[in-house]
Formats: sequence, C-alpha cells, structure tokens
Amino acid sequence: MLDIKNLNVSVEDKQILRDLSLKVGSGEVHAIMGPNGSGKSTIAHTLAGNPNYEIISGDVNFNEKDLLEMDPSERSLSGLFLAFQYPIELPGVTNASYLKQIVNVHRKHRGENPIEAGDFLKLLKEKSSILNIPMDMHSRFVNAGFSGGEKKKNEVLQLDLLNPNLVIMDETDSGLDVDALKSTSEAVNQLRSSNRSFIIITHYLRLLEYIEPDFVHVFQDGSIVESGDKSLANRIDKEGYA
Amino acid sequence: MTNTEKNICSIIIGEEIKYENNSSEVDIDFKIQNDHIFGKIDILKSSKKFLINLSNVKDKKFNLELEISLNENSFLELRDESDYEHGSDINIRSTMNKNSIFEFFRLNKFKDSTKNTFNHNIELALNCEFRDFNFSNGSNEMDNKTTVLLNEENASYIGSGVMISNSTNSNNDLSIKHLSKSAKSDCSFKTVSRGNSNIKFSGKVFVDHDCSKTISNQISKGLIMDEFAKISLIPKLEINNDDVVCAHGAASGKPDESVIFYLKSRGIPQNEAEKIYVEGFLGEFLDKIPNAEMQEKAMKYISANC
Ligand SMILES: Nc1ncnc2c1ncn2[C@@H]1O[C@H](COP(=O)(O)OP(=O)(O)OP(=O)(O)O)[C@@H](O)[C@H]1O
Ligand SMILES: [Mg+2]
Repeated sequence: MLDIKNLNVSVEDKQILRDLSLKVGSGEVHAIMGPNGSGKSTIAHTLAGNPNYEIISGDVNFNEKDLLEMDPSERSLSGLFLAFQYPIELPGVTNASYLKQIVNVHRKHRGENPIEAGDFLKLLKEKSSILNIPMDMHSRFVNAGFSGGEKKKNEVLQLDLLNPNLVIMDETDSGLDVDALKSTSEAVNQLRSSNRSFIIITHYLRLLEYIEPDFVHVFQDGSIVESGDKSLANRIDKEGYA
Repeated sequence: MTNTEKNICSIIIGEEIKYENNSSEVDIDFKIQNDHIFGKIDILKSSKKFLINLSNVKDKKFNLELEISLNENSFLELRDESDYEHGSDINIRSTMNKNSIFEFFRLNKFKDSTKNTFNHNIELALNCEFRDFNFSNGSNEMDNKTTVLLNEENASYIGSGVMISNSTNSNNDLSIKHLSKSAKSDCSFKTVSRGNSNIKFSGKVFVDHDCSKTISNQISKGLIMDEFAKISLIPKLEINNDDVVCAHGAASGKPDESVIFYLKSRGIPQNEAEKIYVEGFLGEFLDKIPNAEMQEKAMKYISANC
C-alpha cells in the first residue's frame, strides 16, 4: 500500500525528517507515537502533499504510484486521506455545501454522477448520527467557530464520506471527550478492512485501546527509533520516551 | 414579501423607452434628449411595496440622469440587472421623506474596454432606511461614487459592495455623513483583484458635532489573486462626537494557502479550490441582503463571475 524509503524533508530550510523509512501493508494499522516536535505532523503533511514541506531526497510509493509526483488533490482522489491535527476554517462556505462538493469530486473521479440532494442529506444524517454530530453544525461555515472536538469529529466525518484506502489520523483523539473518542473509534473500527490501512498519530494509549494497532513506532528527531507491537505503546505510556 | 404583495413595474431603456405604469401611487417620467436619458421616479405613496426593474438594452453608451423621490412611508425596491456593453454614465439624486425605505440592487456586468461612471447622491429624513447592494465586475475605467446624507434622526444606511475583476482600473468612493443623532451606517466592501486590476475603495465616514448615539460600522476586505493585481482600501474617519460606536476595518492580501491546501487534500483541484475560496470570501456578507430572491441572485452572480 505505502512504502516510504529514506525520506528527508525540510520546512523553512530546517531539516525535520531524517532518512525515514516505513512500510504499510494493506489492512494494517500503524500507530506513531513520539514527543512534541519530533516530526509526526511533518510526515502527515508530506504524504498529503503540503507544498510548505520540501522533499530533500527519498521515495514514496503508494499503490504502485510515485506519491511525491502527485498533486495533493490527485493523492486524495487516489485514496489517501489526512485527518488534520489542526483543521482549517473556511469562512463563507457552509459545511453542508463543502461536504457535498468533496463527495462529488470523488464521485466525478470514479465516473459517477453528482449525488442527488435528497440522497446526500440522507447520507449526511446517517454518518453524522454515528458521530453524534448535530445536523445544524452543517449549516455553519466550515470549521469556523467549531469547538476543538467538533473540528475533529468533522474530520472523521469527511473520512467516513470519502472512503479512502490509506487514512492518516494526526492526533484525532486530542480534544475529543470520552464519548466522542469512543464513537470515533467505533466509526474507525467499522472502516477497518483488508484493503484499507491506517497510520494513527497519537500521544495516548487510550485511543489504541479502542483501535488495536498492528504496529507501534516511536518517532524521535525525524525518524523511527523503535518499532514493535501494542506492548510498546503500553511501555511508553508508563515510562515516557526518555 | 411575495411578488403578489408588490406593485411591479419595468422600465426598459433602448432607442426608445418602454414602461407601463398602472398605479396612481407612482409618477414615472422618462425622456430622451440628445442621446441622454432624463428620468424621474416619484413614489407618491405606497400601500404596497414598489418593485421597479430598470434595464438597459441600448447598443450605445448609456447616459442617464435620474431623480428619485420617496414620499412619507413609501417603500421602493429598485433593481438594475443590466449588462453595460458600451459604457455608462449614470447620475442619480434621491430624496427620502420620513419613514420611507429604499432598497437598491445593482448586479451589473460591464465590458472591459469601456468607461463607466456612477454617481448617487441620497438624502435621508427621519427614520428612513436606505439599503444599497452593488455587484460589479469592473471595467478598464470605472468610477463609482455614493454619497449618503443621514440628515435626520434614526436614518439608517446599510450597504454592501462586491467587485470581482480581471482588468479594471476602478475607484469606488463611499461617503457617509452622519448629520443628525441616532443615525446608523453599516457598510461592507469586498473585492477580488485578478490580472492587472487596480481596485481602490475609499470609505469616508463623517460624524457631526451634535450627532450623539451614532453607530457606524465599515469593513473592507480584498483578495489579491495575481502578481500584478492591486487593491487599496482607504477608510477615512472624521468623528466629532464622543457618544459614537464605531467599528472599522480594512484588510487585503493573498488567498490563505493553508485553506487552498486543505481543499486540495480533499480531492478538489487547484482552480476549483480557488473558486470555492473566493466564493466563500465574497459570500460572507450575503446574509445582509434582506430578501431571499436577491440573495440567491447575488450568490449566482458571484459564482458566475469568479
Ligand atoms: N512552518 C514551519 N516553520 C518552521 N518550523 C516548522 C514549521 N512547521 C513545523 N516546524 C517545526 O518542525 C518540527 C516538527 O514539527 P511537527 O509539527 O512535525 O511535530 P509533531 O511531532 O507533529 O509535534 P506535536 O506532537 O506537537 O504535534 C518542529 O520543531 C516544528 O517547530
Ligand atoms: Mg503534530
């Protein structure tokens, strides 16, 4: 699914990722843990194609394609999804109209017609209720004035609407209350399948108790310093990174 | 208010002027002299709201001198949704008598290569409300000037201007004079400058000495889309009374790249992402438009022009 080889990335002329390599197979769930500033969001943004992140060297193969050559929108259309650590506000555009547009751009890519208004409303109601999102949130402007937790739920909602096959979740659990963490994890677990992979960036064991990872990686100074199974997360939770 | 509750009248200006007026509550008079149109609209009284659609079908430059007056308690909605293919020179003087309401919508398309000037001078008496909405795509040479005199107590002005342009050189002047106490003004101007457009907005607010309890808001925002595109937003305030609530802001800049990236990360290609961003930027104040039909038209105008 995803093969990162010797990736070096800088931001504003400062090198952040150092010789990072990581393989994610179909259906696998990888957790990435690591101290603040170690470069976790940098991987997420690099994979999604944020132009502020400059590739110094390295290769990324995504479903037999050269990911780094692709435009961010193409990456999304090919099945990559990033749930942002800090979702962006879009004033003047209602959440409902935004969600419909992103659904339609993916449908168009698959050669399907735009979704009927009624069908979209039904879909939105169904998906929102799973995540306990009130429908009136959709008549507000995208993320504008949303609480921290509402923004995170809105990211998971988008993930659920777009059916990606590689999901990167950047601290989606931070800011969610206990119930929201549970419903979000349940939604994610529903989406787990043999052809969908997850990279879950988190600081907390709690999320990994709901979403069992196959692999846990410890990130430090821009590369993976240790990998293991879920017991590694237990150890970090007890002992920290030191 | 639905259309059946309105008195509707159209004035179509071409080589000749066509209008039908079957209401005794309004006096409409238009004539042509040397290619100039002189018009008069007097709302004598209005048991119902008047909707007047003014349209230009001339295949030459459009020159208009128009006098509008609203009698006490009358309500006029004036719309101009024309295209100005050959340039225009429009001068309007409006007088509003007490308790009258005037809604003025202009959603116009201008041809790049033409010169267009627009001047509107309006005076408001006690409790009058003037609601002014203007959507324009600019032209190579364009001057827009609106002067609002809030002459008496509780007079209020609400205005919103949108300009989206590829190649305009335009000056937009708004001058609001608070000349009596308890008057309100609320104005927003939003513009998107592309290509080599140079768009200026100057928003003047004057508050006279004895104008206590004045409320005045003004916001202007601009988006600069291309390397050679320019915007200058100049608020000018002259406030001579302490009992005034004023909020004023002006800001222009490039689109926020993080927003464009967010949209692209959801599969939306660059040009569509920019369009969504610009539509959102321009659409922010559309809820100020007091009627759903015009709100919809404004939304369509924005969508078609950006
Ligand atoms: N635009 C930028 N300009 C300068 N430095 C940046 C920029 N973006 C990120 N950095 C730096 O890159 C480093 C890695 O940041 P990153 O956001 O990837 O960390 P992180 O591991 O996600 O941290 P956290 O756990 O706090 O989210 C940090 O030192 C950060 O300050
Ligand atoms: Mg981070």
